Amino acid sequence: MQVVIGEDEALLRRGLTLILQDAGFLVAGTAADAAGLVRLAAVHEPDMVITDVRMPPTHTDEGMAAALQLARIYPSMSVVVLSQHVQRRYAVELLGEKRRGIGYLLKQRIADVDTFCADLRRVHAGGAVIDPEVVEIMVARADRDGTAIGRLTPRQREVLKLVAEGRSNLAIGTELHITEKAVVQHTSRIYDALGIAVDDDAHRRVLAVLKYLAQ
Amino acid sequence: MADEVRAAPVRTARPALARSLRRSLIWLCGGLVGGTGVLLAILLVHPDSPPWAYWGYTAVCWLYFVAGCVAWWRRPSNGMGALIVWGGVSVSLLLVGSTAAPLLAALGTAAGTLPLAVVVHLLLAFPSGRLRRALPWAVVAAGYVVTLVLQFPLYAFDARMSALPLFVADRPDLLRTGIEIQRYAGALVMAVTAVVLVVRLRRAKPWQRRILVPLFGYGVLAVLFIPLSPNLFSRWFDWSPFAIGVSQLVAISGVPVAFALAVLLGGFARTGEVEELSSWLSAPTAERSGLSAALAAVLGDPLLEIAFRVPGRLDWVDSAGRPVGLPAPGDTRAAVPVELSGEVIAAIVYDSELIADPELVRAAGRVVALGVERERLTAALRASEQSLRRSRERLVETADRERRRIAQDLHDGLQVTLVLLAIQAQQLAHQPGATSAHRTGATDLRRGIDAAAAELRSLVHAVMPSSLLERGLGLAAEDLVDRLPVPAELVLGDVEPLPTPVASTAYFVVAEALTNVVKHAAASKVVVRLELVGGNLLVDVRDDGRGGASRDHGTGLRGLADRVDVLGGSLTLDSPAGGGTRLSVQLPVSQQGPDATAELARAQPDDRPRPPVLRPTELTVPDPLPVTATQD
Repeated sequence: MQVVIGEDEALLRRGLTLILQDAGFLVAGTAADAAGLVRLAAVHEPDMVITDVRMPPTHTDEGMAAALQLARIYPSMSVVVLSQHVQRRYAVELLGEKRRGIGYLLKQRIADVDTFCADLRRVHAGGAVIDPEVVEIMVARADRDGTAIGRLTPRQREVLKLVAEGRSNLAIGTELHITEKAVVQHTSRIYDALGIAVDDDAHRRVLAVLKYLAQ
Repeated sequence: MADEVRAAPVRTARPALARSLRRSLIWLCGGLVGGTGVLLAILLVHPDSPPWAYWGYTAVCWLYFVAGCVAWWRRPSNGMGALIVWGGVSVSLLLVGSTAAPLLAALGTAAGTLPLAVVVHLLLAFPSGRLRRALPWAVVAAGYVVTLVLQFPLYAFDARMSALPLFVADRPDLLRTGIEIQRYAGALVMAVTAVVLVVRLRRAKPWQRRILVPLFGYGVLAVLFIPLSPNLFSRWFDWSPFAIGVSQLVAISGVPVAFALAVLLGGFARTGEVEELSSWLSAPTAERSGLSAALAAVLGDPLLEIAFRVPGRLDWVDSAGRPVGLPAPGDTRAAVPVELSGEVIAAIVYDSELIADPELVRAAGRVVALGVERERLTAALRASEQSLRRSRERLVETADRERRRIAQDLHDGLQVTLVLLAIQAQQLAHQPGATSAHRTGATDLRRGIDAAAAELRSLVHAVMPSSLLERGLGLAAEDLVDRLPVPAELVLGDVEPLPTPVASTAYFVVAEALTNVVKHAAASKVVVRLELVGGNLLVDVRDDGRGGASRDHGTGLRGLADRVDVLGGSLTLDSPAGGGTRLSVQLPVSQQGPDATAELARAQPDDRPRPPVLRPTELTVPDPLPVTATQD
């Protein structure tokens, strides 16, 4: 898998490159600002771009804007956005632009190399991976506000949380010590509760997550 | 228009002097028009010229009187109005000369060419109506000598004038010589006049030339046309006496209209009601802060400003206490000092092209000196208030800048280091030959580092949230509300972009209010509202908790109240016991803070041309005066 990295901190850029190479990814190029990232993505058309939200010269949300732009231009390119601080709006914007091959993670997640690389692979496979912290905020918010999601059973909510993190049914089953079949039952009840129509499963999963985030 | 608005206070206190002047002008105009009317009636009883000639000349007189009085009325301190009326009188003497009474007829004959001298006078006295330099003065005097004194042979030695009391003898030779002398002297006067006018035109500004060229051109042609036309047109073009008479009338009737229009519309002359100032000042209802507006209206310079000298400061300030500069030498704007008891207390900054005579400004300054002193004390107060405010603003800005710097440094430095350390710790666990104890230890180490990083993240977030830096207030407030353990709603209006100090102050207000809700209110619902209402950012946080909050509890709210105050906003806390709490903050957005972002420029368009701010400590007085066509 070919990857292009956008990160303004030289040390972190280098660290990320090494990790990805060790994990068998092909790092096609690295950029220190958003404009450079867009250029490199156009040149290499990689399978995936990984970018920081904040980039020079303004150190605002240039990386995020570049990610959204790339997601729009190259539908088959996976986009992973890393951030010092995660929040709902960015996740909603990314999922609004593109339902498949999207990731939004805290930068600190890089350190757990195995999980991080597994997340990247899930994104590459067409999944949507949202940082657990965003998911946690959403769950707390749903509890607090008593919305449709707040009315899900605790087990269903656990399943939905893992769905939002981009886990497969098998992985969710393993995590919750239940069978894959039980997971499927939970997810279909979740879809019913959220009023999500019958569709292919991957699409429904993302819809559920979006509903979850955008409430 | 700015000058109309600013002139308003003067109109409210129309002084007795101006009323008296205007009454006099009405009487003068009425008297002259009536007098010539009576003259016309007398002449029409036994006309020895065709009646149209009497009518024509009377109409021309009236034109002069009305135009002159209008100019006089509108520009009382300008001499042109009076001169135009004088022109009318000179034309009316021609009518007087047509009467049968010998004495009056003699007077009219003696003054037969006087209107030409008046036109020369008008030309050289424009635009102020005064002759301040020797050469124009001499030319005008010569003009009157040519038309009055050198006229003598025309009635003293001409046999046709034998019926008049001024007739001396029938001496055709002396008559011929006299006519020649008058002709050459008149030509000389006109030549010098033309030279003076051309020199003035050369020195005039382009916009002045647009008025001066047609005016001077017309004046000179009129003076040449009237004496030369009988010969020229009857001999070469075979015009009838009637046509020549009418063309002369038309030529001479254009003069008052042209000069009156140039005076009123030309922008050369001030409205000139200096005397009005003193009565305006003594009027009890007068608005003192409008002093410069009053001076601007009176002196005819809409951009006129007063700069005040404030004790203990080296620079000058305006009436709001803001520092201003005085024009440098060579600038089109100039300044004259206003003194009181030998001390310079202020300077009047004016346009030296509109007001050529600094003496006039200085005189106005003397009249208003006491009023200026009063306004200066207010300005001094405002200036110290301003500098206090500026220093508080700087404190807030510095604190904000520091917060941003710290957040950025931690983001770029320590947080990156922690990620890298955690990666290294994790890699230890993957080392070939690592025991399971090693792996567990390394993973625990990595988790410990992650936990430290999370703590650092929340610390950085509290100092200056990245969402505020990345997307501004809306996103940052949304994140606060998302993470709140209490059911919360955010009502977000279209508030962005905001100046940086306003955005961060509003954010900290929301953060502090929500912290208090969570800690103390025991609320079941909180609503955060961010809206722009009439140029103010409205921050409103309302809960349904137990109330009883006070701004004196804890330093958080007090510190915020200070910040809000510095930005010129207001903070209200309404928290009756048992009735919920409402914290409401208004922050002016249009206020241009020094750290304001570029977007703010759209908030306060001020396209009124301002004098260039220059040279703060030096008072410059234009001396000698710049020589332009606006002077004599």
